[in-house]
Amino acid sequence: MANVRVEGIKKSFKKETVLSDISFEVKDKEFFVIFGPAGAGKTTLLNIIAGIYVPDEGHVYLNNKCIDHVEPEDRNVAMVFEDYALYPHLTVFDNIASPLRSPRYKQPEEVVKREVTRVAEILKIDWLLDRNPSELSNGQRQRVGLGRALIRSPEVFLMDEPITHLDAKLRHQMRAELKDMQRNLDTTTIYVTHDYLEALSLADRIAVINKGKIEQIGTPEEIYYKPANEFVASAFGEPEINIFNAEVVKENTELKLSIFGRKKIKIPKNIQKLVAEKEISIVRVGIRPKDIKYGFIQKNENCIIGKVYSFEPLGAKAILTVQVHNQLVQLLVPSDSEIQLNQEIFIEIDMEKTIFFDSVGNNLLASYSNVERKGVAWQN
Amino acid sequence: MAELILKDVCKIYYKNKKPVEAVKSLNLKCRDGEFVALLGPSGCGKSTTLRMIAGLEDITSGDIYIGDRRINDLHPKDRNIGLAFENYALYPPLTVYDNIGFNLRAKKIPEKQIKEEIHKIAELLDITDLLDMKPAALSGGQKQRVNIARALIRRPEVLLLDEPLSHLDGKVRQKMRTEIKHLHTEINCTTIIVTHDQLEAMALADRIAVINQGVLQQFGTPLEVFNNPVNEFVAGFIGEPPMNIFNVVAIMENGILHFKTENSLIKFVVPEKYIRFVKEGEKYRFGIRPTDITVCREDDSYTVKTKVSVFENLGEECRIHIRLDNDNILSVVSSEIFHFKYGDEIKLKFNPERIHIFDCKTGQRIEKALQMT
Repeated sequence: MANVRVEGIKKSFKKETVLSDISFEVKDKEFFVIFGPAGAGKTTLLNIIAGIYVPDEGHVYLNNKCIDHVEPEDRNVAMVFEDYALYPHLTVFDNIASPLRSPRYKQPEEVVKREVTRVAEILKIDWLLDRNPSELSNGQRQRVGLGRALIRSPEVFLMDEPITHLDAKLRHQMRAELKDMQRNLDTTTIYVTHDYLEALSLADRIAVINKGKIEQIGTPEEIYYKPANEFVASAFGEPEINIFNAEVVKENTELKLSIFGRKKIKIPKNIQKLVAEKEISIVRVGIRPKDIKYGFIQKNENCIIGKVYSFEPLGAKAILTVQVHNQLVQLLVPSDSEIQLNQEIFIEIDMEKTIFFDSVGNNLLASYSNVERKGVAWQN
Repeated sequence: MAELILKDVCKIYYKNKKPVEAVKSLNLKCRDGEFVALLGPSGCGKSTTLRMIAGLEDITSGDIYIGDRRINDLHPKDRNIGLAFENYALYPPLTVYDNIGFNLRAKKIPEKQIKEEIHKIAELLDITDLLDMKPAALSGGQKQRVNIARALIRRPEVLLLDEPLSHLDGKVRQKMRTEIKHLHTEINCTTIIVTHDQLEAMALADRIAVINQGVLQQFGTPLEVFNNPVNEFVAGFIGEPPMNIFNVVAIMENGILHFKTENSLIKFVVPEKYIRFVKEGEKYRFGIRPTDITVCREDDSYTVKTKVSVFENLGEECRIHIRLDNDNILSVVSSEIFHFKYGDEIKLKFNPERIHIFDCKTGQRIEKALQMT
């Protein structure tokens, strides 16, 4: 049982503010991801929770008890680093056992044996106990690293980009391994990353931070489908979400959006109602690359004409970049699409899958209207 | 504008007096205006090849031609080649304008003409606003644009790009990639890019030369190397998430040849096109891309009933992972978003047209391996 709460954390180094007023609560057994770009303050925040840094202001609570004055080694949290730092000359067994043999946590050998076996079984590495780290695959090494952190039965795991610096292929595999382990762990975990795929895949909840401030805290589903602002929307997805200005115009009795300078696009009823009620005249419209269709004839009046700017196959999928009225719009399409550079092309934006922000992109107005997503179950 | 031809090009280094073959008898013919990527892991010889084309490295044996000019013995500056390296090497005290114009000035071209050329190229690369700035004030993406502008200003017959994107991070990198691709359609100059990033090679190149340990493995369009890799190395190197590749054995069941994994978790009929190549009792390396497996409801000869080990929703797509054994995970990528959890039973259909079979020992694609013996 462990919950972690940080309240009003502020931290500056010299004159530079790194964190300003960070508060959140991590529930028992939750996998909580702190996500943000390089320099956002993620690692500083993790180090404050670990007790390595002292915040200028604010408090850290473990199980509702303030631990501001508890030394790092007494906090009962375990840090897992990127390189796992295994002892190369020790077997897997001895690596995992090492914390229990240290002067501080010294346990009788029979306890060590029992505990190592228990942890190794959870992590499915019990068949590797006699090997040396050099004989292990990356996935196995990661498990051993976690096993060593786990053996002390910490109340909280703190992980600082444990797999972010691997190459893309390995990361894919390691993320799956990590997620597989996570199911058996049941330990409250705070995980720092700048890779949005890791955040979406692993997290129960994500805190998006930028320049030392929280932009949004939510489940992956909320973050992806209801981003609080343009920063959050742009941070999740590659190629990133297309966002452009649109003017609300009236045609007969209907409200439409004028985008790319001229084209008037029909919008769903609920959006019409919303902009009418709030008397909004300019909105920012976000649409993800996979939610734009293309064709070579003007199928309906919502189709917008453009010119193929580039076509980048990436395997099964390709990024199609279309120049529309001096703006570039990116689409995700199958890579076997027959597309010529510079040819004329029509794009069709699915207005039911758009995300609307206010005119400066700071606040979400509406998103994915009328789209029924199957169940609620984006559950990690 | 010209063809670039490499004929039996070899490079041998001496390390502690022992010869090291960095490039082994490389043959490549890049068409006029073509965009070719030299792709491979670090140390595969791709940069050495580029440096030999540029004239920064001697050629041990073989010939390099630009058009019908043999350039082996030409000085780098006489080869009519534009070079843009990964670290931009811009002159810090000079403005962007002077950086781009530097080589033209060295050639004593009239100032008026230099000005025209610089403005033309600056417009093409969208850096007109930066001309008065010093390199230190530029972002990584901007520096790379200036770098490429400087390489292009000499109107080279061949443009060489050495990992031009690897210093840039995430989003800037992707945007710059799109820009380079677009730029190539505008300038239409024969271009060689060296990269270790298969996505970059796929996105940019008309054709990719996959190189490993100094040997050309395959030279083909992005879709050719993706869909028809000639061996297990190319299959594993191209594509992300990587192709699922695991061991199978061919067995006979009810008079029909089947592939099966050792633990029988996966078993199905050998696809028609492989029947004449596959021998009963033999082991093979079996490959299928995560995008060539689909979640289905009904059974047929290519469905496998199994349980979900790990499920990931990544927004744009979802990934389903099945643990085959302690070391191997089978991954499935679907653009349709499903919602599964650990232990859910699912049926997976392997697209029989998209199964790749490699020889266990040589790693060659099975059709090819048999042709060779």
